[in-house]
Amino acid sequence: MSRYITRLRMRRTYKWNGRPVGEDRKLKRKYYESMSISVEGKTEDATVSSGQYILIEGDDDDNPFVAQLHKLYTDDSGKKKTAVVQWFVRMCEVPQNKRKLLGRDPHPQEIFFYQDRSCDNEVDGETILGAVQTAPATPRTPRHATPSIPSRSAPARKPGNVLEEARARLHVSSVPESLPCREQEFQDIYNFVESKVIDGTGGCMYISGVPGTGKTATVHEVVRSLQQSAEQDEIPHFHFIEINGMKMTDPHQAYVQILQKLTDQKATPDHAAALLEKRFSAPAPKKETTVLLVDELDLLWTRKQNVMYNLFDWPTRRNARLVVLTIANTMDLPERIMINRVASRLGLTRMSFQPYTFKQLQQIITSRLNRVKAFEEDALQLVSRKVAALSGDARRCLDICRRATEICEHSGSQKNGSGLVGMSHVMEALDEMFSSSYIAAIRCASVQEQLFLRAVIAEFRRLGLEEATFQQVFVQHQALCRVEGLQPVSVSEGLAVCQRLGSCRLLLLEGSRLDLFLRIRLNVSQDDVLYALKAD
Amino acid sequence: MCVSVYVLCVCLCVFLHCVCVCVCVCVSVCVCVCVCVCVCVFRHLLELLRRTAVHGESNSVLIVGPRGSGKTMLLGCVLRELMSLKEAQKNVLLVELNGLLQTDDKIALKEITRQLHLENVVGDKVFGSFAENLAFLLEALKKGDKSSSRPVLFVLDEFDLFAHHKNQTLLYNLLDVSQSAQTPVAVLGLTCRLDVLELLEKRVKSRFSHRQIHLFSSLSFAQYLDVVRAQLSLPPDFPDPKFSDEWNHSVTKLCEDKTVEEILRRNFNGSKDFRSLHSLLFLAVSRVSVSHSTLREADLIEAWRLISVDSKANVLHGLSILELCLIIAMKHLNDTYDGEPFNFQMVHNEFKKFIQRKSHSIHKFEKPVVMKAFEHLLQLELVRPVDSGVCKVQREYQLMRLMLEHGQVMEALQKYPQCPTDVKQWALSAFG
Repeated sequence: MSRYITRLRMRRTYKWNGRPVGEDRKLKRKYYESMSISVEGKTEDATVSSGQYILIEGDDDDNPFVAQLHKLYTDDSGKKKTAVVQWFVRMCEVPQNKRKLLGRDPHPQEIFFYQDRSCDNEVDGETILGAVQTAPATPRTPRHATPSIPSRSAPARKPGNVLEEARARLHVSSVPESLPCREQEFQDIYNFVESKVIDGTGGCMYISGVPGTGKTATVHEVVRSLQQSAEQDEIPHFHFIEINGMKMTDPHQAYVQILQKLTDQKATPDHAAALLEKRFSAPAPKKETTVLLVDELDLLWTRKQNVMYNLFDWPTRRNARLVVLTIANTMDLPERIMINRVASRLGLTRMSFQPYTFKQLQQIITSRLNRVKAFEEDALQLVSRKVAALSGDARRCLDICRRATEICEHSGSQKNGSGLVGMSHVMEALDEMFSSSYIAAIRCASVQEQLFLRAVIAEFRRLGLEEATFQQVFVQHQALCRVEGLQPVSVSEGLAVCQRLGSCRLLLLEGSRLDLFLRIRLNVSQDDVLYALKAD
Repeated sequence: MCVSVYVLCVCLCVFLHCVCVCVCVCVSVCVCVCVCVCVCVFRHLLELLRRTAVHGESNSVLIVGPRGSGKTMLLGCVLRELMSLKEAQKNVLLVELNGLLQTDDKIALKEITRQLHLENVVGDKVFGSFAENLAFLLEALKKGDKSSSRPVLFVLDEFDLFAHHKNQTLLYNLLDVSQSAQTPVAVLGLTCRLDVLELLEKRVKSRFSHRQIHLFSSLSFAQYLDVVRAQLSLPPDFPDPKFSDEWNHSVTKLCEDKTVEEILRRNFNGSKDFRSLHSLLFLAVSRVSVSHSTLREADLIEAWRLISVDSKANVLHGLSILELCLIIAMKHLNDTYDGEPFNFQMVHNEFKKFIQRKSHSIHKFEKPVVMKAFEHLLQLELVRPVDSGVCKVQREYQLMRLMLEHGQVMEALQKYPQCPTDVKQWALSAFG
């Protein structure tokens, strides 16, 4: 608003409301609770009382000062009215160089608490314009964000037929209550942890085994049954925490995660380490035993190995009452990557999970299906034998069985008869999930690409090496084109064909900066290439 | 099922005798599945995603195929079909990542959090450090369960690049969620590497369900021709039926022409994918104009010529005679010494031999001038030093290699404007 337009100054009359609420004889003041302001021309009176936010007349008519009224008093004569206020500032009153300290864009009507002794807290009561409403600002930065994925509108559909039921049970995530074929391992780990919990001591155990052998699942089962025991007061209560080396961005985050899961505190890694050190060293007779599961231990390796050292050192303290169960894939991890003092603290309590045999895999599937009749006997045997021969990985076995049910359902829907999952379905699933696709890729390659592969083999044979430069192969390629009666290709086209073969890794190439002299190697065996090319 | 090329004919004003025909070719590849992709592959993928969306069953699958074979297109079609299902439409959350854009797990995590609109996102900004983001996301996914949480579809384009991140943390975590009783997720990876599984660490590989969908094009040439015809034809709902009839008729006749078939066959022999076909057809169609409003074989021939031109041909075309002579000298050296690297001095000697004995028209240049020409060839990278590092040898004696093939040099000579005959004869002589 332009400064030249004068505002009509409204005459305001101020009157005290009610009787004085307090008196100060020394300073000769009488305190009042509230005051009413009547403005000329307006019918209603505005009332201001202590505790309210008020607008005070200032230089700018459009932006009067905002303050919170604390006290109202008058002097002996009753004529001079004074108000004690707490000032607030608007963003426009904050000096420019300080505005960045906020770190965000302010709301246009936002006011801030002003604490500065240079400004007098006492003002003339007759400069008060009226009361104003304030509301707390909505928090802009998420202080207490809760992690969650939104829920669906309707619950997920339940399995309809036998095959769908079988598929649901065969999913890797539907872990059964008790794992078959791991009874001995379960018992060993159970005994170990139970004895430590009952005695109130600490200890370390190292569990190893190739992926998919049920290590984490068994430990979870042990903990679950121990927790049940603890609820029935058979053994003392204990606290279970779990960390995973792969779910951390840095090995030192282990401290942060353990601290958070133990005491719900957030801290930096160094501070967390210090706090945990204090916690595990300090004597506390009524402390619960803590059972800590460390999955994927090899990722907690650091140069100085201090994370692993601490994890294995804390259980040795008398007052720590910490039982650490570590899981990794290699049996000789302590010998290979740990320095002596760390390995010795880990101790000799080790357990190795062997890969599943075919009988065990069969048992696992049968127990999962649990009377849901969906598979033929031979089909199950075939899958178990095949997977056991290769890796003994239970996950692989379950995934193949699931795929077989899908194939059966799909072919069943076409033939209008859903039966059991048979050998043919299982063999198709095995084919899909075990095969290497190089031969199919070569068969579906274009004419020039196939010729180029032939040229590569021809050049390797000529040189007696497993490597050749593009120029040499190109010469062979031109010769082959002439033989086949095709038009010769230019160097650019030849390079394009070569690059296409390189991008799908049928060939291994050096960088294309080297142009004619990039070296080519075959990623498939020569026999496979010839077999694939012969079949047309 | 056909993919059509939309040819928009804008503003054909006959009244004012000014015919402006703007031929805009938009190759809209987002239409339905191509002939080359089998229906059963489409059904398989759709069924998989439908089970995740409707039943809450977690899965992971890799779509493998060479470049331009239709992986992204297949996924797009399947996702569109999925979103048209009522149950999936409102429930499914989609997260799209690309290995070329999210080069690091930290960036990828921020992108996932942003796309899922988790609570630590305000507007477009994600709060928290890398560790906090990871913990937050894992916590969010862990709290969910099969029957009540919205399933999340993670699409990872250029999947093989994610396997190069440190520890493969992101892949491990996503695949771990797909194998645990948590929020149902479907992890879809797209890659062109056939050996992608070898890149995965053993723990990550164990958690992957080993489902692979291979997109290999088993198209025959006859089918390819059909696709070309379909691509070039105008759709039936084109506003001017008379023009579209004429056009389609001319396209059919064109496809039966021998030269055109030869060109298409050569393109098909080079690579079967549709991207290269589109480049060729695009160049051909963009030659259609007011004066000739149908596609002719000359257009295709010209388009083929542009596409199949050698990359160095233009460079050679613009060289000076002296530079050309140097290249011929280098070619002779290659032939004499069987591809061994040479240096400037050797090239200069060879050139001097030519000047003294056979040349009539070439001026006798001074050594510094020849050196300058040689350096120009170096700048153009037609000649490259053998060891690219710092060399203590004098410049004239540094060993070099010629980056041109015999055929390229000969072709350049043929096309070179006003090439002196003695130079040509020198090139074709004894060892030519």
